[in-house]
Amino acid sequence: MRNSQPESPVSSMSTRLSGADAPAPVTELFESMRPDLLRFAHWLARDRALAEDIVQESLLRAWRSRDALKDPGAARAWLLTIVRREHARLYERKRLELVSLDEAVETHAGPRPAEPDGDLFTLRHAIMRLPIEYREPLVLQILGGFSTEEIARELALTPTAVLTRLFRARNKLRVLCGMTAAADGAGSEGAP
Amino acid sequence: MTCDDARLLIGAEPAGATAALEEHLQSCAACRQFREQMRALDADIRRALERPPEIAVVRAPHAARPRPATRPAAWRQWALAASVVLALFAVMALWLLRPGESLARDVVAHVQAEPESWLATQHVDAAGIDAALKGAGVELGINSDKIMYAQSCWFRGHYVPHLVVETARGPATVMILRHEQVSGRREFHEAGMTGVIVPAGTGSIAVLARGAGNIDDIAGSMQQEVRWLPQKS
Repeated sequence: MRNSQPESPVSSMSTRLSGADAPAPVTELFESMRPDLLRFAHWLARDRALAEDIVQESLLRAWRSRDALKDPGAARAWLLTIVRREHARLYERKRLELVSLDEAVETHAGPRPAEPDGDLFTLRHAIMRLPIEYREPLVLQILGGFSTEEIARELALTPTAVLTRLFRARNKLRVLCGMTAAADGAGSEGAP
Repeated sequence: MTCDDARLLIGAEPAGATAALEEHLQSCAACRQFREQMRALDADIRRALERPPEIAVVRAPHAARPRPATRPAAWRQWALAASVVLALFAVMALWLLRPGESLARDVVAHVQAEPESWLATQHVDAAGIDAALKGAGVELGINSDKIMYAQSCWFRGHYVPHLVVETARGPATVMILRHEQVSGRREFHEAGMTGVIVPAGTGSIAVLARGAGNIDDIAGSMQQEVRWLPQKS
């Protein structure tokens, strides 16, 4: 499922965006979403340069299959889906040199540059420390605006499993931010 | 619906609401409080996700720089070693000379990460206060019916008592920082809070309150009320 082309998010709409008919609006539409896509990819890949590569490749794929986009209003979700799959594809196809996040953070553990919103510094790093199976649904939900059912479809999980992962993601953030963990009565996630 | 069911739903979708959940919340104060905490955390997560931190943790093979085919010249190795030593000195110097502002910022960040601390409506019992002070090497002379929140929190490599004390100007956070020395009184204003860090015993005490105003009286009182016990060898 991960490597298949994204299906059209809205197939019943009669309005079509044809690249041949109106290339400029589609390009502008895609480009206007580049910052959102880059931020989304950055949280998934945890590396700025890698995120830029993913977004570039995703926009290329989106352009090639632009006829599948039936509704411009669904473009954002459609593009985010492509980015997520491109990220997954990258991990499946290439062996990435993984660096321990603790090690990476330790490298930056000395005096850090002033941040205008330094109070969120801890939380940002806590999110980065979340394993991908928890970080991905959380980012899809909050940044992507996807519902539990949409995330379940995208990740090939049951809705219950998605709820469990979202609960555990936030519970881990509570702990990583120094709060008390809530009792985890979620049990196993169950098979998709 | 059980509390476990309710907390799973709240933890997964803090903004969500179903009829069954709302019915449970009407009769469960603990789950209502949990939802408030999770909604506050979620607002912070949303703000945090707006900008990823600039750290590189994964590198693609194509991004790696090509390695030289031959061994680098000796002078390059010495230059590299010298650079590393200089960089280490620079980092150590910056670390030792880092301004108290970073301590203030960490205190504010910690308090913001525990938004529920200022929502407590019941006094902490003696056992709860003892648990918060345990291991920190301090005793409190303050009347326990003034303490609304007491936790032993992991802060800058140590467990420190994190208290919320009821004062005439509302709740005030007090963090007893045995391992954080400051040379003198430091006042700061951040994220809508006023704070002050004062030297005390072998370390310092940080006091934070919402809004503006003078909190020196609270800090002075805490300097008097905290008794520093000899550290175990």
